[in-house]
Amino acid sequence: MTPSRLNPSSGTPLYLQLVEQLKHSIETGAIRAGDQLPSVRRMAEDLLINPNTVVRAYRDLEAEGIVVLKHGSGVFVRDSVVARTELMRRAEPIIRAAVTRLESLDLDADEIRRLMENELSLRRVARDRRKRLA
Amino acid sequence: MPELVLSRSSPAEPVVAVGHLSRTFRGQKALDDVSFTVERGTVFGLVGENGAGKSTLIKHVLGLWRAESGTVRVFGLDPVAEPAAVLGRIGYLSEQPDLPGWMRVDELLGYTQAFYPNWDSQHAEWLREQFALDPTARIKTLSRGQRAKLGLIAAEAHRPDLLLLDEPSSGLDPVVRRDILEAIIRTVTDAGRTVIFSSHLLDEIERVSDHLGMLHRGRLRLCAPLDEVKARHRRIVLHFELPQPNPPTVPGAIRVSGAERVWTVICEASRLDRAAIARNFGARITDESPASLDEVFIAHTGVACEALPDHPIAI
Repeated sequence: MTPSRLNPSSGTPLYLQLVEQLKHSIETGAIRAGDQLPSVRRMAEDLLINPNTVVRAYRDLEAEGIVVLKHGSGVFVRDSVVARTELMRRAEPIIRAAVTRLESLDLDADEIRRLMENELSLRRVARDRRKRLA
Repeated sequence: MPELVLSRSSPAEPVVAVGHLSRTFRGQKALDDVSFTVERGTVFGLVGENGAGKSTLIKHVLGLWRAESGTVRVFGLDPVAEPAAVLGRIGYLSEQPDLPGWMRVDELLGYTQAFYPNWDSQHAEWLREQFALDPTARIKTLSRGQRAKLGLIAAEAHRPDLLLLDEPSSGLDPVVRRDILEAIIRTVTDAGRTVIFSSHLLDEIERVSDHLGMLHRGRLRLCAPLDEVKARHRRIVLHFELPQPNPPTVPGAIRVSGAERVWTVICEASRLDRAAIARNFGARITDESPASLDEVFIAHTGVACEALPDHPIAI
């Protein structure tokens, strides 16, 4: 579950690359809620990076509420963090039911797609307007 | 989790403080007004092309050479005046460790141990096994990589407060280079220990350094936290409507390269004015990204740090 590889020669700071990779692992469910992340030393030695870089990445994830640092025992993925894959799985029956009903109205695939796009863009406009007023 | 206490908030006194250090060899300035400090618990990466002055600087820190002008302090002491107090707390590995060829591996480790009251035999033995070094082998029969590993054990096993590595991975294969980087990481994870590491391999410097010093022809061109160096430099690509006979003078530009209608600019992020570029030059920014360390090095020195690219380390 250690991120596979970081690229020092890209301009992106290594700690950000590590944050992104860990987030990705959590989203795809490779790292799950409650899992313990490798110790700073272990992660630094595996990835061949400065331990302070690992500390910084862990602190970032903590600030975002993704992990919790438990003193004396390690860094854990918060229980409240639900993997995106899990959310997608929950969304499947909802969308299936909706599409079934739309098809029963005799709408074809293209029309359903257009309706979905239309609805999303209306929401986007409304959201932007609220943001501007705020 | 004690490891997370590895904070940058170190006690006031730096481990190494170099002030206005200059050195001349046969009329040539090998070091020219070099000043920097290294804070406790950090890795200071010193980069520069061959002959930039890295080894000369490190020899001053070791107290092997006396400062011609300027000051050198290590643990608050003058390493020339108090060599025993300073060297006992330093682990040193050079590009070509000077090891007696007639000794056996175990003899050299025993001999080195005698100099250091803090020698950790268990750690030395663990490292020797990790590195698969035969204790009975004569040093003259070892490969270059094996010698580097042996030099690393001798430098690390007394758990020095300061580990000084001078181009340790030059000419070595990726596996040995990995061992060396791991030693740096081990040292700095061990709370409060400090590393100075010189290399012309920017990839390695970037992996393990907290602070970066860029040496070129004896002058420290850039000395700052690595994060800051990265945040401070951007690389933009400009596309012009018409071919440009001369390089565009972009505010904050450190280096401009290109020809005709396409120019690449390495510039200071804080002075980058995208709107002004469009207004003044009629140029479009077609690409913008953080500058890589290679690009930053070339921008500040005009030369590439790595003359010959070594093989990247296999992770």
